[in-house]
Amino acid sequence: MISITGVRKNFQTGDQPVAALRGIDVEVNQGEFFVLLGPSGSGKTTLLRSVAGLEKPDSGDISLNGKTVYSSSQRISTPPEERGIGMVFQSYAIWPHLTVAENIGLVLTHGRYRLSKKKAAEQVRRSLALVQLENFENRPARLLSGGQQQRVALARALAVNPALLLMDEPLSNLDARLREDVRANIKKLTSQLGITVLYVTHDQVEAMVLADRVAVMSQGQILQVGNPFELYRFPANALVAEFFGSMNWLRGKMLNGEQVETELGVLRVDGSRRFDGAVVVGIRPEDVKLGRSSNETENRIEGKVLSSTFLGDQVTVEVKIEGKVLIAKALAEDERPAGSVSVHLPKRRLVVFPEALAKPHAE
Amino acid sequence: MRGRWLFVAVSIFALVPVVAFLLIILWMGFWQGNPGDPVVYTLKHYRTLFTDPTTYRTLLNTLGFASTTVLVSLLFAVPTAWLVERTDLPGKNLVFALVTIGALVPTFFTAMGWVFLLHPRIGIVNKFVVEWFGLEQAPFNIASLVGMGWVEGLGLSSIAFIMIVATYRSMDPALEEAARVHGLGIFRTLRYVTLPLTFPGILAASIYVFTIGLSAFEVPAIIGMSNKIFTFSTFIFYKIQPLEELPSYGIAGAVSSLLVVLALFLSWGYFRVLRFSHRYAVVTGKGYRPRLIELGKRGWLIAWLFLGGYFFIGKLLPFFLLVWASLLRFFQPPSWAALEQVSLSNFYGLPWSLMLSGAWNTLILMLVVPTLALIFCLAISWTVLRSGLKWRLAFDAVAFLPHAVPHLILAIAAVFTALFLLRNTLSLYGSLTIIIIVYTISRISFATRIINNSLAQIHPELEEAAFVGGLPLLQVMRKILLPLLRPALVYAWLWMALLCYRELTMASVLVTSQENVTLPMIVWSLWLGGSLNQAAAANLVVLAFMLPAVVLYLAFGRRSRFAEAS
Repeated sequence: MISITGVRKNFQTGDQPVAALRGIDVEVNQGEFFVLLGPSGSGKTTLLRSVAGLEKPDSGDISLNGKTVYSSSQRISTPPEERGIGMVFQSYAIWPHLTVAENIGLVLTHGRYRLSKKKAAEQVRRSLALVQLENFENRPARLLSGGQQQRVALARALAVNPALLLMDEPLSNLDARLREDVRANIKKLTSQLGITVLYVTHDQVEAMVLADRVAVMSQGQILQVGNPFELYRFPANALVAEFFGSMNWLRGKMLNGEQVETELGVLRVDGSRRFDGAVVVGIRPEDVKLGRSSNETENRIEGKVLSSTFLGDQVTVEVKIEGKVLIAKALAEDERPAGSVSVHLPKRRLVVFPEALAKPHAE
Repeated sequence: MRGRWLFVAVSIFALVPVVAFLLIILWMGFWQGNPGDPVVYTLKHYRTLFTDPTTYRTLLNTLGFASTTVLVSLLFAVPTAWLVERTDLPGKNLVFALVTIGALVPTFFTAMGWVFLLHPRIGIVNKFVVEWFGLEQAPFNIASLVGMGWVEGLGLSSIAFIMIVATYRSMDPALEEAARVHGLGIFRTLRYVTLPLTFPGILAASIYVFTIGLSAFEVPAIIGMSNKIFTFSTFIFYKIQPLEELPSYGIAGAVSSLLVVLALFLSWGYFRVLRFSHRYAVVTGKGYRPRLIELGKRGWLIAWLFLGGYFFIGKLLPFFLLVWASLLRFFQPPSWAALEQVSLSNFYGLPWSLMLSGAWNTLILMLVVPTLALIFCLAISWTVLRSGLKWRLAFDAVAFLPHAVPHLILAIAAVFTALFLLRNTLSLYGSLTIIIIVYTISRISFATRIINNSLAQIHPELEEAAFVGGLPLLQVMRKILLPLLRPALVYAWLWMALLCYRELTMASVLVTSQENVTLPMIVWSLWLGGSLNQAAAANLVVLAFMLPAVVLYLAFGRRSRFAEAS
């Protein structure tokens, strides 16, 4: 559906160019909900805008539905109005001088299809029904609340029956409670319509809930593409691991394929990969097992509980081991751990990366 | 706060004359007699005004002139603003620099150039066209409402441009992008989204320009008066300084009162529209530049032809004409015969000793007026924003009046006060002091708005910290506020100095002797006296004197602040 190859883009800020996209290759399948996830400045919005035609890359190729819309070598750059897409902007971009119905009607009567007034009115009603705004047709758009504007923006984007829907952080301006509702709605609506979605966000929970597949971006590059489970359990590098959920990091050195000498002593790891030189070993807080719940003797260390915080459904525990503090998360069924505690780091939950490529906040 | 009352007192001192002048104008309209006579009140002036057909003709003239001004200024300002803000046109900084310079070129300068170009009798374009096409009559007439509106509109297009650019900048670019993405092309996006959304901003700029056009003096005075086409400003001037009859302050007062009411009404409309346009201004979530429309090589060419043509017609052409006129004894179109007569005799023949005293006076004005205005306005802004005084908003409203009230009328009120009210106490008439007073008052609105904007961005806690540390208010001003406000103050000072230099409107009634003559007045007197070619020469000398100040302004003043004040 979307095919992006070798896309590069530099921005001129002040005197020196800043690379926003450094050679992006990615394929999005028909009907897929594809999320671009990354911190601000990672280039995800620039990539989305390049697909929309709102930004012109310096080089590379982009095709939608098999049709090339941008190609530096063939000198093709289709203007945005001819790409046949729907888009929801971060600011919603609801035209304040029009009513709700006119906001949607304008793209139907003067957009690519040029529908008659009557047909457009029907389509407007259908689109508003999709987002449960049936009785808002004649409301001036600037009088809508943020959540309503967001729904009008979605209805407008869907009204033209686009093959591709682009969404640029559409939930970032909503308050937390509303965000969950709207998120669920977007998921339901887009899977019902079977539409291909390219979605930009910096929120990993949003990405996990919505995405069929996620591309994690950083500094103008795609670090890893995969479904949320793969990214969480098998991150390709420390940055992805760090960005997709939190991590405890330990510095160390690989002794052989299965053993790493770390700040906490020698730990056994899965022997699939082997790196020379300095490495970091990571483990997610919920994988750090406290107490004698298992009989495993491998990777077992004694530590001391510094603090434990009750969060309702779980307890977060800070454990000090050999001058190093690990965070553990446990279910809040048992009494809160205190004093000395036995810590188990399950071998198959440890991930190892070369330190040179990692920038963990480990300290 | 120690020293607080000093600031309030200075503000009151600066603002009392504003209110007094307005009341005096109203009073003038009901008043009859000569200096020294006992006062007689009458409705005669209003009766004369409303029964005289001249009044209605003047009203129509003024409306026609001001409307043309608006149309012409928008014709150039809107496309230029769009090109600069929404397309990939190269050389945008150059456009901004040219527009700023354009705003500084005095209107009386360009007006004279246009007379040489399009006057029905002497204008060279008319002469050429009549000759080449064998016409009976000159096709163009600059001495008409449309002609004068054209010249004024070209002059005011800079201000309109700066205001409209601000409108584009306050608009969320995603609003236009949403249209493009959903299938509207460039032109439909322009028509259905960009124009409707910028309309309130353009309307506000139109009202602003219309208000200026309504009371504009220089163009009607240079082009219209000698051809007996009066607008309200020249009509009022004519009543104060008629050629044959006695001055009639009563009629002038009545007309001025009407004009003041109209101007205040328009200012009210301006603020209403402006508030409406702010409703459309959306703060965007992201700092990205809007997608720039690619014009392509041919588009650039057309755009630069348009912009080049605009600058050429607006500034360069009048300039060339003045240079040509200044080199000739009698004005004539360029020809071999004319070339042989070219000489610098106009420059040698200028009244140099008068020019020197004019230059000296103008220099004093340029130094004193901006300084005084800044001192007063610092006090006013502080009173409005920081004093916590119950009546502080009244200070703000009064400080705005000099913007709404035509400056010519302020000057007339001052002359009337000097002649009739303070005749035996202070000899202000014909002095440099009266010019300083009126110029300073006329700049109060501009300076308070600049300082208000900057002061509002300085957190009050910065001063409060100093107060807590035990500094008195004057020290807080000196050590904390002045350094923080410095960029705005430097900009405002330079801009006001330049406006002082080119001021003709107020000088036209205030300057009455060699003692308080200013440079623009000398140019104008030569022009009125019929020595057009000498006036052109004098004008070039005046413009040359202005250059160092303009360079200073471009080096130290910031163009962006200009938008805040308008």
